[in-house]
Amino acid sequence: MTSSLLRTLIPFDIYGGMKLTGKYFGKVLRQANRGAKRTHIVVEYPEVPTTLMPRFRGRLQMIKDEQGEVKCVCCLACEKICPTQVITIEKGKKEGRKTPFPVRYDFEMERCIFCEFCVESCGFDSIILNHQFELAAYDREDFSHAMEGGFQNMFDTTPVGHYSVASDD
Amino acid sequence: MTPTLFQYLTISLLQIIVILGFVMTLVPLLTFAERKVIAYVQVRLGATRVAGGLWGAQRGRTHQSRTLTGGLNGLMWFLGRVPVFSILRGLPMFIADALKLLTKEDIVPTDADKAVFVLSPALAMVAAFTVFAAISFAPGALFYFPAKFPFLGGLPFNGFLTDLNVGLLFILGVASVGVYGIVLGAWASNSKYPLLGGLRSAAQIVSYEVPLTLSLLVPVVLTGSLNFNEMSTRMAVDVPANGLVGIGRTLLMFVGFFVYTTCGFAETNRTPFDLAEAENELVAGFHTEYSGMKFSFYFLSEYASMITVSALAAAFFLGGHYLMPFGLQHVWNHFFQHSSNAFLAWTCMPSILWFLLKIFFLLFCFLWVRATVPRYRYDQLMNVGWKFLIPYTLVMFVIAALLRYAA
Repeated sequence: MTSSLLRTLIPFDIYGGMKLTGKYFGKVLRQANRGAKRTHIVVEYPEVPTTLMPRFRGRLQMIKDEQGEVKCVCCLACEKICPTQVITIEKGKKEGRKTPFPVRYDFEMERCIFCEFCVESCGFDSIILNHQFELAAYDREDFSHAMEGGFQNMFDTTPVGHYSVASDD
Repeated sequence: MTPTLFQYLTISLLQIIVILGFVMTLVPLLTFAERKVIAYVQVRLGATRVAGGLWGAQRGRTHQSRTLTGGLNGLMWFLGRVPVFSILRGLPMFIADALKLLTKEDIVPTDADKAVFVLSPALAMVAAFTVFAAISFAPGALFYFPAKFPFLGGLPFNGFLTDLNVGLLFILGVASVGVYGIVLGAWASNSKYPLLGGLRSAAQIVSYEVPLTLSLLVPVVLTGSLNFNEMSTRMAVDVPANGLVGIGRTLLMFVGFFVYTTCGFAETNRTPFDLAEAENELVAGFHTEYSGMKFSFYFLSEYASMITVSALAAAFFLGGHYLMPFGLQHVWNHFFQHSSNAFLAWTCMPSILWFLLKIFFLLFCFLWVRATVPRYRYDQLMNVGWKFLIPYTLVMFVIAALLRYAA
């Protein structure tokens, strides 16, 4: 009885709420723009680079081995499994190489759904989805990636993505 | 030396310019502070850059210096590397806000009562700004014009515009006129949402005027004056002969401060009592049909009345121009008045600095409460007003009278 009357007369709950919000205000005020330690959940993205989760699925990228050779052996597993059929591979030969060599490896990013089936199906670890997430472009041709001669290079990150964190591996 | 009429008018004009300038610069800063405080409370960062491309298309990085806004963003980003300035990074946004309001199309609804529609924002703003005539920012002269100053040499530049002997009555009376601006504007819009918002606002302000005035009667009874300067000074430093009376007075001021601020929130239509503009029920309440400069008049008047309420609370309950709140200044003076430390001795003197600091703190509390307490339902609002605050203030009034009798 007394306590309920007290609670009616003195707004303890408002005091509790103010204490909580005041605590957060002080914390964020002290840590705004301090980099390493921060309470706030905002990422100041273009200026401060973001850290991505390791399994983030970005753009398809081909990998070369230590000798600078393309690791792809044209087994066409990625081309077959791709649900939107954005990969086109042309089998060919290269001098001094025992395994088949992809003369053409085209990737149409405008239809890609970034499902990573191609990477999972690849038995030779020759492709990855890198950590590039800024994939917008001004021309449609910028979405067509090829090994050589195309507008974009399959071995590098797309040049239009200025701020993406390029894959280190 | 007494000033001639022209000298008096010139100094008054200068004072009006200074006070209006102060309020007019404080209002946009308050909108910025509102964004920031609410963002920080919600673990966000708030505005950190100016959007849009003023003078030149903006594309890509937000702080490209090719455009004006981009250059501003770059400058603020550079300044933000100093941790103290990092909270100021979104500051240019208030210029953008003001520009937006200035350049917006001013729509008058076809069926609106045009004269009233145009006049009522002005009425709200005039009421909100006239109040500053009776508020004293410093108890005496702020500074004296140097003797060589042409025309005004040797005359004082006071921290107040007028030293009305019925200052508090003037403030309460003029501030109440502001509700006419809201109700008339709502009615003149000829639309149902503004009308409902205006009616709510009228009922709310009429209800809360009673406890507000009653809670301000406590300092009136304790000091026996209606003069703003005299009240605030006596509330801060007047030493009651009986020690018990002093303690009772401090407790009364402590409780009275919270009661007064609660009523002040309702008077200025701020959250948690902003029923007049409950956007989930009434679109935007009384200013639904207003746009452009007319809307910003309402906006300015709301923020100006926030400053008024803060100034009154600071003057009568938080010690006014003195350092210590709740009438504790005489205790402070007792210890430090004759201190050899120059700074400590200085803190015993009245200063405009303490008053402004208290106003800023109270304005921060307005934003803090807005970020914390959700809006009351209408019946709850009326319950709080009539069933709690009015009995509270009546009891306080009786206690104040007893204290006055005992002193």
